[in-house]
Amino acid sequence: MTDAEKDKGYRILRTRGLTMRFGGVTAVDNVDFDLRDGELRCLLGPNGAGKSTFFKCLTGQLVPSEGQVMLKEQPITGLNTHEIVNMGVGIKTQVPNVFDGITVYENVRLSARRKNTAGIARDMAEATIEKCGIKHLIKREVGQLAHGQRQLVELAMVLAAAPDLILLDEPAAGMTGDERDRLAQLVLEAARSAAVIVVEHDMQFIRQIAKFVTVFNRGAIFREAMIDDIMRDRAVQEIYLGKQADAAA
Amino acid sequence: MERSLTRDPGFWIMVVIGLVLMIMGPILIDMFTIMQITQYVVLSVFALSLAYIWGFGGILSFGQAAFFGLGAYAFAVSSISMGDTTLPLVLSFVIPAAFGVALGYFMFYGKLSDVYLGVVTMVVTLIFWKLANHTAGPEYSIAGVRLGGFNGIPSIPTINIPGQPDAWLDPAQLFRFFMGVLIVVYIALRILIASDFGRISIGIRENETRAALLGYDIRRHKVIVFAIGSGIAGLSGAMWATYQSFIDPNAFSMEMSAKALIWVMAGGVGTLLGPILGVIGLQWLTLQMGMVDFLNSLVVLGAIMMVLVLALPKGLVPTFKSLGIAGWTLWRRGRGVSSGVKKVTSDD
Amino acid sequence: MDYAIIVALEMIRAVAWLVLLAAGLAIIFGMMRVINFAHGEFLMLGGYTVVVSTGAGVNEWVAILLLAPLVVGIFGVVVERLVIRQLYGRMLDSLLATWGLSMLMIGGVTLIFGNTVQGVATPFGGVRIGSYQMPVYNFVLIFFAIAILLAVWAILKFTRAGLIARATMQNPNMAETLGIRTGWVYMATFGIGSAVTGLAGGLLAPVTGVVPAMGASLVGQSFITVITGGAAVITGTLSSATILGSISQATTFWAGPVYGDAALLVVALILLRILPQGITGRIFKRAL
Repeated sequence: MTDAEKDKGYRILRTRGLTMRFGGVTAVDNVDFDLRDGELRCLLGPNGAGKSTFFKCLTGQLVPSEGQVMLKEQPITGLNTHEIVNMGVGIKTQVPNVFDGITVYENVRLSARRKNTAGIARDMAEATIEKCGIKHLIKREVGQLAHGQRQLVELAMVLAAAPDLILLDEPAAGMTGDERDRLAQLVLEAARSAAVIVVEHDMQFIRQIAKFVTVFNRGAIFREAMIDDIMRDRAVQEIYLGKQADAAA
Repeated sequence: MERSLTRDPGFWIMVVIGLVLMIMGPILIDMFTIMQITQYVVLSVFALSLAYIWGFGGILSFGQAAFFGLGAYAFAVSSISMGDTTLPLVLSFVIPAAFGVALGYFMFYGKLSDVYLGVVTMVVTLIFWKLANHTAGPEYSIAGVRLGGFNGIPSIPTINIPGQPDAWLDPAQLFRFFMGVLIVVYIALRILIASDFGRISIGIRENETRAALLGYDIRRHKVIVFAIGSGIAGLSGAMWATYQSFIDPNAFSMEMSAKALIWVMAGGVGTLLGPILGVIGLQWLTLQMGMVDFLNSLVVLGAIMMVLVLALPKGLVPTFKSLGIAGWTLWRRGRGVSSGVKKVTSDD
Repeated sequence: MDYAIIVALEMIRAVAWLVLLAAGLAIIFGMMRVINFAHGEFLMLGGYTVVVSTGAGVNEWVAILLLAPLVVGIFGVVVERLVIRQLYGRMLDSLLATWGLSMLMIGGVTLIFGNTVQGVATPFGGVRIGSYQMPVYNFVLIFFAIAILLAVWAILKFTRAGLIARATMQNPNMAETLGIRTGWVYMATFGIGSAVTGLAGGLLAPVTGVVPAMGASLVGQSFITVITGGAAVITGTLSSATILGSISQATTFWAGPVYGDAALLVVALILLRILPQGITGRIFKRAL
């Protein structure tokens, strides 16, 4: 993918008119979204802005009421999750979805095993576990780990499959300072070889990794800009504060 | 990962015990008891079919009897009409397995889950049971063999040596053959469970969402697991048919499905040994109860099931295992040995 | 012409039959998400109550309309306290435990009453429709099916008790903080569901022979009706009973009872395939 091709319009992820309705509520409202290959994008916005719903439309966990999702310029709207994943997507959900009853090693290895032979899967698993800094937990049963550790295990599972697009929903939740720093490092490193979308609330974490940011509000895209501009933007502050002001009233 | 199977002492112990029993059994034990044990062996294979799909695939079927009966009837019809039992044995695995694929496709691609799955499997068994009961007239026959309705099919041939239709196995040989089948099924299941296919099935049981998020097609996996279980159940049905020389619609009964569930629950969901012990324990208990006048088998079965669910939700074997581990840990602590974390290496 | 009327009436009767069989189970499953696998045996208990009491000289209607629901209702409360209470939220475990209960009950009743079929006289006689005869009792069944549905609907919708029950089922924690004793609500719901089942068993006693294992053939139909109906108590039961009852009865007219039975099962399978959460899991989602 040359730079010229990149600018010419190839987008690894696109949505057009994406809408998600639940009964009378429109959670995602006619969203047009673009992501370049290799880009790292953060999705921000107050609670209830529709970020996670939007996220689930991308992963196939929800079928949009209207609109289209295109992955690598192929339509994926309405496809099953496993079909989307097999096109090269790695997904980390808001509530960690891991295999509690088996070891960290097994979890990561099963992820790597999907597309690789047993031998390569073994190596990938060990390497990824080491890279994520959870090697000391490798034989532990995942169900017994702390929340932040489980998040790291899930991240390792995502990375072990070497996806082209990585979707992370609140990866920093429940993490200690050290874990969060490591997470930031890993995300930045992953972004060198894959496109990454991070949905997050944790401002400290966002400051460590964000460059270009999309802010959601009430189901639609409110603003898209570089992180510094967003931080200074009055309107953005207001939509966050607005929620607090409403709550206080 | 097969490495860890061959290193598992439990596995080898089971295989050795099985082989010893198979070879030495008829020599050391009287024929009457051997014939009793043969019954346990057949039912153990049936129990394993449910133990596998439930414990290692997360599929709780309320109608394993459907495949048991299907295999039994398939064997009965084909062995009587062919005069030889070799191909019928194969059919008794293949036909139920094929049906398992069809039913599995229907259920899992339809995203049925939990309760609804249980009801569908139960309904299917009910359908078979009703159909089998209504086939009494002479017009109901397959390949020249009358299905017999509620009277069933009598005079089912005993297993013969392949190619020699008149060389029937005597009780001792039948016992050895069935033990052989049980051992082979056990080994095959252990290998399957330890393989990556098996591990993914376990992953699906643990967290379906994550399995899908890793790119695995859950529906396809479940269909395969279900079909394998169906084939094994069918095989045990054939064994039952030949052992009794008779089969009737009771093979499709709810009681048969209930027994399978009790064996697995009692023995422990998630083990293979447990359900086998469950078979032995329960059948022995029913035998004892049969000698006592004031209780009948249904009362016993029912009471056991209730006790198991209320008091031992994990089943006997895992409960004893947990108790054992708890006791062991307490003992070690008492002796001043620290139960610290073992040093972890990545190549274990 | 009279044949058409007979067919129509028989189809309505078939629907009513399913409603009666399923109503009690639907109350319990719809409100509590508990599967009572001993449902068939609760029906059987209602039947035996009628048999025993009429045998002791009690008036048949008193036995059916008063004693049967009372006895089975109380039994239900006892079962709820001892067994069901331990298993809330564990849908599959409740299924297995009540399956055990069902076997226990069948075995127990067999020991007490033996295996012979007991009969109860069918009240009233027949009525002529054109050149055909039909038992008047069919109308009794249809009447009570409608009555039960209306009564349950009215209670749930218009009474305070019904409101409390619905609140508890939808959000038990919230209900607790409002001062509702959820334990009592569950107990009462299970008791009422059992009583309705007892009534149904009593009503059906004159039609089927009363025998310990009679539940076995009835429980399948009950379950299928409730599960295909989905979570809503009234609408679910009514819609699935209507579809299953009329199609299976029509098939019986056309090809005989064996095919009629098979048709019910097949239609249920198809419905579940299309609507894996039952009819009211998708349609009429918010209905009672």
